[in-house]
Amino acid sequence: MSSLLRISLLVALAALGRPTVSCAAEGLKTESRTPFRHVIPLRDVEGNQIIPAPEFDEQGKPQEARGNPFSIAQTCGRCHEYSIIGQGWHFNAARGNVKPGRPGEPWILTDPATRTQIPVSYRGWPGTFKPADIGLTDYDFLLAFSRHFPGGGVGEPAKDKIDTADVRMRRMLVTGAMEIDCLICHNRQGAYAHEARYKALNNENFKWAPTIASEVGVYGASRMAKTFADSWRPPRPAPTNLPPVKYERDRFDLANEVKFDVTRRPSPETCYYCHTSDSRVGDARWHSDRDVHMRAGMTCIDCHRNGIDHMVVRGYEGETADRAITDDMILLRARVFLRDDGQLKEADARKLAESQLRNELGYVETLSCRGCHYGSENPKFAGRLGAPHPEHTGFPPIHFEKLSCTACHSGPVPADTTQIVHTALAHKLGLPGPVRGEGTAPIIVQPVFLRDASGRIAPHKAVWPSYWGTLKEGKVRPMLPDEVTKASGDKFPAQPKDDVERDPYNTRPLTDPQIKDVLTLLSSGRTNGEAVYLAAGKLYRLDGGNLKSDEHEAAKPYTWALAHDVRSKAQAVGATKGCADCHSQDSPIYFATVTARGPVDPKNAVTKAQWELRGDDPKLAGTFAFTFKFRPLLKIMTIFCAVVILGVIVGRVAVWLGGFRNRGQSDTY
Amino acid sequence: MVNSFSPGLVGKLAYALMFAGALVLGASGIGTFATGNAPMTGWILMAHVGSSGMFSIGLMIVALTWTSPVAQRGGISWLFYWILLLSGWLVIVSGVVPMTPVFGTHGQHLLYLIHRYSALVAAAAAVLHLLTCRSER
Repeated sequence: MSSLLRISLLVALAALGRPTVSCAAEGLKTESRTPFRHVIPLRDVEGNQIIPAPEFDEQGKPQEARGNPFSIAQTCGRCHEYSIIGQGWHFNAARGNVKPGRPGEPWILTDPATRTQIPVSYRGWPGTFKPADIGLTDYDFLLAFSRHFPGGGVGEPAKDKIDTADVRMRRMLVTGAMEIDCLICHNRQGAYAHEARYKALNNENFKWAPTIASEVGVYGASRMAKTFADSWRPPRPAPTNLPPVKYERDRFDLANEVKFDVTRRPSPETCYYCHTSDSRVGDARWHSDRDVHMRAGMTCIDCHRNGIDHMVVRGYEGETADRAITDDMILLRARVFLRDDGQLKEADARKLAESQLRNELGYVETLSCRGCHYGSENPKFAGRLGAPHPEHTGFPPIHFEKLSCTACHSGPVPADTTQIVHTALAHKLGLPGPVRGEGTAPIIVQPVFLRDASGRIAPHKAVWPSYWGTLKEGKVRPMLPDEVTKASGDKFPAQPKDDVERDPYNTRPLTDPQIKDVLTLLSSGRTNGEAVYLAAGKLYRLDGGNLKSDEHEAAKPYTWALAHDVRSKAQAVGATKGCADCHSQDSPIYFATVTARGPVDPKNAVTKAQWELRGDDPKLAGTFAFTFKFRPLLKIMTIFCAVVILGVIVGRVAVWLGGFRNRGQSDTY
Repeated sequence: MVNSFSPGLVGKLAYALMFAGALVLGASGIGTFATGNAPMTGWILMAHVGSSGMFSIGLMIVALTWTSPVAQRGGISWLFYWILLLSGWLVIVSGVVPMTPVFGTHGQHLLYLIHRYSALVAAAAAVLHLLTCRSER
């Protein structure tokens, strides 16, 4: 084919294009278990189809396929209910449309230089700070955590609600919204460039991130949105589409549509980008057996399911009470009823929809450990997915009221001390960096055996807040790292340059004199409260020029329950020494030490036993463990007594029977 | 009828031991349910398990020393004695078997129910036996 003919054909096709997806095609569903082949038009944030310019212009000169970044909301949202999806668990933290539920892993604002680690969450979990409470705008939050934040929620504020007087938030008029990036989860394994997304977001190219990370296009210029946001001042019009995107022509077919290899069922490897958690740090990871369910061929989403509302089942007992049914969900279901029954009134359809959705909430409980293996309150659900019914031979049922399933089956095998654990959200796992070590901030430990909301003992992860702040009326308000750095000037202990290569994460703990120096600087001229530092379970303050440290409510750890990796029956607590795994005077669940970890000398850290952290009676725990020394003797003695009594009963019965027989015989004679 | 109801000193001491054990067991067991604090845990559970030995040994010696005299004596106390012995045996067995790796959750739950109800029967039988013994003396 001559190049002229080829150009003409491409021009003709481009001109014809395909009319943006016809209205009739939108909203259609396949409702099949066969994945739909997603060859779809890309659309920019205005809803316009992205049609790459032909390779050559009318004069036959080569030209780039430049365009605006594509919008997920406009592209995927044509067929999928984007607004309903946006209410899902991964996106709704700041929306307030659901209860916070069981405390989960927070975002941890970490700054190694100022030795800061502050648990942050929009959900208001006790022990965390809402971003606004510590002076973080939504924009600052996005910059700090977008590497693992999937978009939506605070990432896409209504444009007309952005205050141009707010120097931070107004940047979003330039950077665009951080829409939910469906492709993070729904692109098939390996087809999503997380690192590219991270770099894009670091450059504040929010709107560009899905385009860059899905490798549909690259930047068409070297200046990033951050630069434009830095220089833009209202009332000048905001530069909204700079830099341009240079699309990969190979990704577009002749109809200017792009094939996305997407799946409804993301693989565990996809989830692990945000949900990796490993206490075998560095090169020791190969020792990990991973989760027994995964080994059996299951995937995360077999239990952590969701419908179109993306309210992923978290899987804890009692979760049903924490879930809400939104108006959008009712409306969506009601639409189906109205379509099926033309006589139905809208109000009745809504009632019916709500009632059906409420009934379906009951299914949530069947996906907890207990629900799947035992059947929860409804035994007909026992054994879902082939879950074996646990026999728990020789395990008195009272333990089910005292322990969560995870206490014996989840996380690392309990030992004399806790272990350092790295998580994707806290340690930027999934992104390349120098090998993370035990001192890499934030320091999180596991397993800490605390009581959950139901009073059962369950393993938790724990992080101790570390930050500089002001103490006023018994409450500590954290200072952000920038504020600390400014206020402390050059007195803050900087890492020697020649130490950076050895210790890239700047993990050297603060010494008491260093804390004292910084507190002295932070105190000077301060009138609204007393300058303090919190770390490793203690509050440091100056008292007459001397440094004092004591335990403080604000320095207590933030903890959240862990559930994975699940260990098999043979690896569970109780499988090795039986009752003595817990009921002995060296049982980790009771007597392991938990040392508060933070950027200070561990010698100064608060150390407690597991029983102490959960507020158990120390005498009771010790005495109960002590009595188990005599338990074998008690069993032997009791069984002996039972046998003797049985012997007496049987003997007496035999005598009676003999007596009856003799009497019968004498009657006969 | 020959009245040779005399379990001897050992038998009487054993009866006292069994009764003392039963008192602690009853107070801790029934008390826990009566006060709405089930399941039994902590110090109460320790007291319950600790006193179970007294009851078991006491009942065993009572079985060895009282059975012949009671059998010869007859009367209403005879009936309560055998109810006490049988239900007491059930209490002991259903108390100790859950500590052995024999039964799974379902079996354990069944044993727990047997323990609970046989204990109630044993407690009632012990009291009635004591009262009827005194009245028949």
